[in-house]
Amino acid sequence: MIVLVAACGDDGVSRAVGARCDTERDCDERCLAPSTAYPDGFCSLSCESSDACPSDATCADVEGGVCLFSCVFPEDCAFLGPGWTCREQDLRVDPSRKVKVCLGA
Amino acid sequence: MSRRVITTLALVAIVGGASATARADTTTAVTADLEDQVVGAEVGLAGGLGRTPGGLRVAGRYLYQLSDQDWFDGSASFTYGSGGAECFRDRMNELACDHGVLDGSAVEITATVRRMFPARGAFRPFARAGLGVGVVRFNDDDLTGLAFPLHLGGGLRARVSPRVAIVAQAELVVGLAVFGDDLGVESQLGMAVTAGAEFGL
Repeated sequence: MIVLVAACGDDGVSRAVGARCDTERDCDERCLAPSTAYPDGFCSLSCESSDACPSDATCADVEGGVCLFSCVFPEDCAFLGPGWTCREQDLRVDPSRKVKVCLGA
Repeated sequence: MSRRVITTLALVAIVGGASATARADTTTAVTADLEDQVVGAEVGLAGGLGRTPGGLRVAGRYLYQLSDQDWFDGSASFTYGSGGAECFRDRMNELACDHGVLDGSAVEITATVRRMFPARGAFRPFARAGLGVGVVRFNDDDLTGLAFPLHLGGGLRARVSPRVAIVAQAELVVGLAVFGDDLGVESQLGMAVTAGAEFGL
């Protein structure tokens, strides 16, 4: 758990994954625009497997496959700001498997 | 007789064809192989941390003799770096940037004093210190700042003909830059290594 909490720390936020955004210009590749699913917006990378994501993120089967921060407990996502929590989603590479990632509540 | 007069006489001697004798004298006289006005051009590499631009450095230089050992050394330089957008807003909505050492670009003018030291063989060492003012730009981040760096450096100068010398120098740059947006005042820290030619007027 300590490892996961550290992985979800503020240091892991970058233009690739985790920065706030309004448009694609704010990110290296993709901006998940501000909404209840992505409060304040969320920079991410398109992916087909977690190999395409930073080590502290997982390729979840949402938005056609995007990297989202891995988590275990809701508090692990608190560094992303109000409205974020830890939710179960399908794994992009194998939708029959579930992963826990940070998403809007 | 002042050293400046000696310098002038030495230069006249060089121009008059007594270069062999003049070169022998320069091993002891500090000013004998540097005219009272000099222009130069140089190229090199600059590297900067944080919001200090780095990349290819091209500069023009003008020197004017102030005293036996010191010359005013003014320059205009251009730094052309690489790099894409590196700034983002963190989750606290504060602007954060992660520029590399060869990112960004800059235009700068400097006013420094160059102190020449006695020659050691074919090379004459010098030290340089002064201030600059410049515009710093990170184009892909649409980030522009006004920089006020302190320049500290030194180098070697070697005469290759009566009025031409080659120069190699390195400098450390420390200062502050004021940026727009939310970035505010950022420190400047960089290094540059350049080589070029100087021509006596």
